[in-house]
Amino acid sequence: MNPDSSWRLVAPDALASRSWDDELVLYNDVTGDTHHLSVLGHAVMTMLASHPSGIDLAALVGGIADDAGTSADDELAAAVERTLAHLAELRLATPVSA
Amino acid sequence: MIVAELAAAELRRRLTGPGLRVRLGPVAAEIRSPFDVVASGLALLYAQHDVLADDDFADFRVAVEPPFGVRRFVAPQALFKFDGNTRFRPLPAAQAFPLLEWGLNWCITMHCHQYLMIHSAVLERHGRALLLPAPPGSGKSTLCAALVARGWRLLSDELALVELDGTRVVPMPRPISLKNRSIDTIARFWPDAAIGDVVPDTLKGSVAHVRPPADSVRRALEFALPAWVVLPHYENGAAMQLAALAKCDAFMRLVDSAFNYSVHGRAGFEALAALVDASDCYAFTYGGALDEAVATFDRFASP
Repeated sequence: MNPDSSWRLVAPDALASRSWDDELVLYNDVTGDTHHLSVLGHAVMTMLASHPSGIDLAALVGGIADDAGTSADDELAAAVERTLAHLAELRLATPVSA
Repeated sequence: MIVAELAAAELRRRLTGPGLRVRLGPVAAEIRSPFDVVASGLALLYAQHDVLADDDFADFRVAVEPPFGVRRFVAPQALFKFDGNTRFRPLPAAQAFPLLEWGLNWCITMHCHQYLMIHSAVLERHGRALLLPAPPGSGKSTLCAALVARGWRLLSDELALVELDGTRVVPMPRPISLKNRSIDTIARFWPDAAIGDVVPDTLKGSVAHVRPPADSVRRALEFALPAWVVLPHYENGAAMQLAALAKCDAFMRLVDSAFNYSVHGRAGFEALAALVDASDCYAFTYGGALDEAVATFDRFASP
């Protein structure tokens, strides 16, 4: 994954969601799929939703770390990268074209 | 008029003539059948259901009839018909009543899309609904019958009908379907239960149905508000355990248990989300101690 790439939601207006206990379930009008996302998946989706034109990986990791009151270390960055890849597979998030 | 008030000859006349029209909660069914086991099953298990006039509207016109030809006489069979068209493969004539029940379930799940339909037992206490969504073999119906035996109102043994705003559950009290060992278990636990004939060798094993209490049938137009979602799991000899279930997990289990979730798209999502919002969610394991199980539910349902 290119560390300089930015990410955004594929179709934010197509999503309906509900959060309980910091986890997230959401419905995607575009695909008709329902997803259950972990705490980290929820955090990534929230961060992407608040940056509609895209956010780069470092800022994404930093923002999530700030919200969680933890440090933006390599372990968190790797977990966020894996989460982004998963969200891309689900057609929820996509890299922003340069 | 209720089915119990029909003389046997009149019940037979309707079943073999214009059809017996009965109210099943929010829908009405017209039933025809020449089989004695269907007539006796309806007389016993739908005794408290309202009978409609011959010219009242029926949502579903169904029949359980023998096929034409030699199968009327040799190894007789029964066919389920909907609007005059045969559905499903024929079953032995001795299974005609369970076939009617399964056929009615099919009619409802294929057509009642004004609701979100979840494969779940539903019971009520103090106006609040308890959903027991579960796959076959989880002990859902046994637990449902045990709760009904101890005073919970039956909304359905099989289908939770949820209005599309997710705020109300609609009753459709019909006979409770029991299988195999649970038939004897409930006969011992609920000695006053009206249990129909045990029909052996069906695709589900031996099956029998329990008549819903008169009070549940009379109150079929009283909605209930969702309050609890409990995923039951029967495990022979297991210690009873009631554990909180994360709402996201409960939500996804309900998605899996819904018959028509995808039909409704976002509206289905919102309905389920509203239902889960309004409900405490649990996983419940029990090993057969029904009194203990009922006491557990009574405790958390106390006002």
